[in-house]
Amino acid sequence: MLIRRKGIIYELIKNRVLFLMLLPVLAFFLINNYAPMVGIYYAFVRFDFNRSLFNSEFIGLENFRFLWQSGILSKLTFNTLGYNLVFIVSSNVLAIVCAVLLSEIQLKWFKKLTQSILFLPYFVSFVILSVIVYNVFNYESGFLNTTLRGFGMSEVDVYNTPWLWVILIPVFYLWKNIGYSMVIYLAAITGISDEYYEAAKIDGANIFQRARFITVPMLKSTFIVLLLFALGSIMKGQFDLFYQLIGNNGILYNTTDILDTYVYRSLKVTFDMGMASAAGLYQSIFGFVLIMVVNTIIRRINEDYALF
Amino acid sequence: MVTRSKASAVILSSFILASALSACSSNNNGGSASPSPSESAASPSASAPASESASAAPSETPAGIDTSEHVTLQFYMLGGEPKDLSAIEKKINEMSEKELNATVKFNFTTWTNWDQKYKLLLSSGQDVDLIFTADWTQYQSYAKSGAFLALEDLLPKASPTLYEFVPQDMWDAVKIDGHIYTVPATYKEYVNNGFVYREDLRKKYDLPVPKDIASFEEYLDGIKKNEPGIQPLSMNADVKGNMMDVFREINDDTVGGPLPYGIGIKYSSPNDVYSYWGSDEQINDLKVIQRWQEKGFFAKNVLNVQDTMQDPITTGKAAAMLGDNPTRYNDTKMKMQSTHPDWELGYTPFAETRGFATPVHPIHNGFAVPKNSKNAERALAFYEKMVTDKRYNQLTEYGIEGTHYTIEDGYYKMVGDATSNGFPREGMQGWAWRNPEYMLFDKSYDGVKAIFDELDKIAKPDLFTGFAEDYSSYQAERAALEQVEKQYFYPLYAGLVKNVEEGVKTAMEKANKAGLQKVQEAYKTQWLAYTSEKGIQ
Repeated sequence: MLIRRKGIIYELIKNRVLFLMLLPVLAFFLINNYAPMVGIYYAFVRFDFNRSLFNSEFIGLENFRFLWQSGILSKLTFNTLGYNLVFIVSSNVLAIVCAVLLSEIQLKWFKKLTQSILFLPYFVSFVILSVIVYNVFNYESGFLNTTLRGFGMSEVDVYNTPWLWVILIPVFYLWKNIGYSMVIYLAAITGISDEYYEAAKIDGANIFQRARFITVPMLKSTFIVLLLFALGSIMKGQFDLFYQLIGNNGILYNTTDILDTYVYRSLKVTFDMGMASAAGLYQSIFGFVLIMVVNTIIRRINEDYALF
Repeated sequence: MVTRSKASAVILSSFILASALSACSSNNNGGSASPSPSESAASPSASAPASESASAAPSETPAGIDTSEHVTLQFYMLGGEPKDLSAIEKKINEMSEKELNATVKFNFTTWTNWDQKYKLLLSSGQDVDLIFTADWTQYQSYAKSGAFLALEDLLPKASPTLYEFVPQDMWDAVKIDGHIYTVPATYKEYVNNGFVYREDLRKKYDLPVPKDIASFEEYLDGIKKNEPGIQPLSMNADVKGNMMDVFREINDDTVGGPLPYGIGIKYSSPNDVYSYWGSDEQINDLKVIQRWQEKGFFAKNVLNVQDTMQDPITTGKAAAMLGDNPTRYNDTKMKMQSTHPDWELGYTPFAETRGFATPVHPIHNGFAVPKNSKNAERALAFYEKMVTDKRYNQLTEYGIEGTHYTIEDGYYKMVGDATSNGFPREGMQGWAWRNPEYMLFDKSYDGVKAIFDELDKIAKPDLFTGFAEDYSSYQAERAALEQVEKQYFYPLYAGLVKNVEEGVKTAMEKANKAGLQKVQEAYKTQWLAYTSEKGIQ
């Protein structure tokens, strides 16, 4: 209360060194993240090569119309949200499991090797992945069907079977990203003091009990922070992943089309600043609302875990 | 502690808000003061007000434009850049520095996502002084929406030689709404498609020469039966461009370039605009393609095939292509025979069956000056040099004589091969500034010339390319239809839908919901206005 009464000026003077140190960061975000927000206005005007942004004709929500014109906005939103939820939950849970298991391994070279192998796919681009996947799954000469034929079994036409991709896409996502999130959790586990484990050992806790009652609870805050960060971009799908794996294959769109790929395809022919901005704004607002809601819920439950 | 951090958070956010507001308002002021946002971001050195003083112009520069201030021109081409570009650029700059007091930077978009980059170049207000245009880069639409500078007043002043060099009827042909927005190339060529097929296999199994869809199918049948290791037809994920559009060109007498939104217009009756989507004509075409798919002429997962159309031919994995243009056919043949000299590649221009061919419209290759350019006059003066000055022209088309090529009996001869040569023929994709007087041809190109000579005899004008569509009133529907086509028509184009009638019915339902009728009506109105304006019967 005392501080508040003395006001902003007092605060500024008192912590002037800290505020000075904050300036570069502030400038960075202002220039790169806040100033471009003016461009949001593009979503509400008719783009015109001859006129500046604020002189262009205001057309309200007209630019947003293409999103629901084909009547699939709800499906796209559902797909985008669904896939991202699966990605976030499964990759975090799996990463925690892997991290806990790895941290219990005593053999140093084996631990490093496993970690490297898990991390490696992170550097494989989705373009290369799509080539690998095509060579595994294509109907005539793919690895899968050649093997099945070799065993005298009937072939699977993976590229014409939409439901399969609901499973395949998360699998590829995990394959690529698990190593990365695992490292974050490994770092968090390293940060847990050994005293807890030693005390637990003396109390007779076995290895599973130690993991269950010490490691996992200690990872909760890391998990929640990562979760909140991920939720902010939940409407921004993994464009590369979907675009490279599915591409032009319309047969699979019902189960695999997300907002990003839809917007990309629609605007590839009709490139319009207004419509592109409109789509981006829709995604951002959705993400913003979601993160606010979740953060509020978390703050209600436990204030320490909330982002702000 | 908690209150303290809250207080600082308040301060922080108020900072952010204040500066966001100030950024916003300053931007606003800038916007209202100058006519375009890009102008306010102009580099100070590049802005050369014409009014300043014309007296300082050096005497050796062309009359009419002010070259007193040095400028750097940004020149944009599509595709990849040749290895030795910097050497060429240096030589060009030595000359242009002296003659125009300007240097040029040659920029390339690469072929990956070039259409995206092209759009961004034009709409983001980037510094671009000269950019390639073509019908397939949507020149007409961009010109109509005001992305380029109108050149008719500048041309006689800044580039009088070029203005004389390009015939008047070509200037007229590239006009959009009465204005010239691009400098067309004057070299006449044909890009009509034709069947490409392995001639040696045809002879070996005594198969018919592909002339139309029926004989082509017989040919493919023969390949399938006799050569189980070879895929009869080369096809990739772009089943619209490589299958459907080409199929319609040979089978349905289409008016010219690929028509959008399932529109159908026949060359023989250009004023009769109908919906190809949902028509019996389409159902019949799709049934043929579906049969081809069932016979295994091309991959079942064709929608995920990323190969080019030509590579499987040159490597011998596939035997035929539904259609390709004469120049590219010749390239494919050369490439194939460089590794397999005993293979032969045959070609039947669709013109043989259709009875006519259309030489490329002047819009097909050109260079425009974007609206954002601050050096329009100098850009045109420079482009004039590129086209009409032999030194500039041959340097940028063929490289340095002796290093990159030699001339033998009047033919172009590459030094080394395509991989070792740092500047292959037309290595800068210099299609637009080709000058027939200075052009050098490889000996192998005689084959293309022979085809062109044949096509010259049955040439008819291109009716379609002069048409500039204005889609601003149905952008949303247009975007939605793109989705419908990809999701419901592409599987049909790939022959993957067993019941064609059902498939077309579903696709049509979705298309109608997305606003097909509105788009087709608007397109029809615009098209009819165009044909009546041009007097096309």
